[in-house]
Amino acid sequence: MDEMRKSDEQIAREAKALFDASVDELDAATLSTLNQGRHRALEEARSPRGELLRWVPAAGVAAAVLVGVMVTLPGPGPVEVMPSAVADMEILLGEDSLEMFEELEFYSMLDVIDEGDDVG
Amino acid sequence: MNTETATYAVSWVSEQSTGTRALQQEQQLNRFLAEVERRALRIAEIGVRNRDDALDLVQDAMIKLVRKYGDRPSNEWAPLFYRILQNGVRDWHRRRAVRNRVMVWFGRGASGDDEYDVVAAAPDPTGRSPDEELQNSEAMVSLEAAVQALPARQREAFMLRAFEGLDVAGTAMAMGCSQGSVKTHYSRAIHSLRETLGEHGPEGSEDG
Repeated sequence: MDEMRKSDEQIAREAKALFDASVDELDAATLSTLNQGRHRALEEARSPRGELLRWVPAAGVAAAVLVGVMVTLPGPGPVEVMPSAVADMEILLGEDSLEMFEELEFYSMLDVIDEGDDVG
Repeated sequence: MNTETATYAVSWVSEQSTGTRALQQEQQLNRFLAEVERRALRIAEIGVRNRDDALDLVQDAMIKLVRKYGDRPSNEWAPLFYRILQNGVRDWHRRRAVRNRVMVWFGRGASGDDEYDVVAAAPDPTGRSPDEELQNSEAMVSLEAAVQALPARQREAFMLRAFEGLDVAGTAMAMGCSQGSVKTHYSRAIHSLRETLGEHGPEGSEDG
């Protein structure tokens, strides 16, 4: 058991030594790119744009949920709304309306007669 | 008037203190990233077998760590950073698999693109520059190919434990799994490497 563990450790240690050597041999251009990337990361995190971008995913999810709710939930039942032009025509062409106009003519005639009596 | 002055002074001191703290935190993050970036690049490179893509993944991980977890305790940065990086590597493989499927659908993908060929994926042993020649030493080529050939979770466990030196708890945090799983993946990885590398393995690179 101890022998096995030691062997595992040896493999890991030797692999680590090779890995570290390959890290040490990274070329200057790669190291420069890494350095620039690090500074860019720190700058982006500092900028207000970065702060705003943090909310973009949340805003996207909220919008998607809203659209989902609008699509999924049943809307209000059908409401009978009579178009105004049609309603106007019905009022004008209905029999009651003509009677109302005739009565208006009658009452205005009575008014004229009353006024004549007052004068006389 | 005195009250206003005192309030202003307290506010100014508070702002200065906050600013100083932010600056110190940024310096700490800078030091942490500078310390970890080269090993992270090599780990990502072994994961995706492409240096440019690995550089992109490391930078993305840096940005995400600073933005999302910069205010976390500094001892959590390493596992968090590697968790972000490993997620990036996994996403890279998913995107690649999808792209290959699409290319196959349009008749442009090479057959067997999804299958990993250890020999084909290993760095060119002939090298193209003195630096590359040094880097492409036979032992490292063998080790890298063997690590790349491991199943993804075993590879992650091995690289985080052996290469980066994270402990079991940190590796579990980075991999998003239990410590028991880390031990299992790591043990299987070591066993596979011993089987794969055999007598041509990394042994002797350190001790002779």
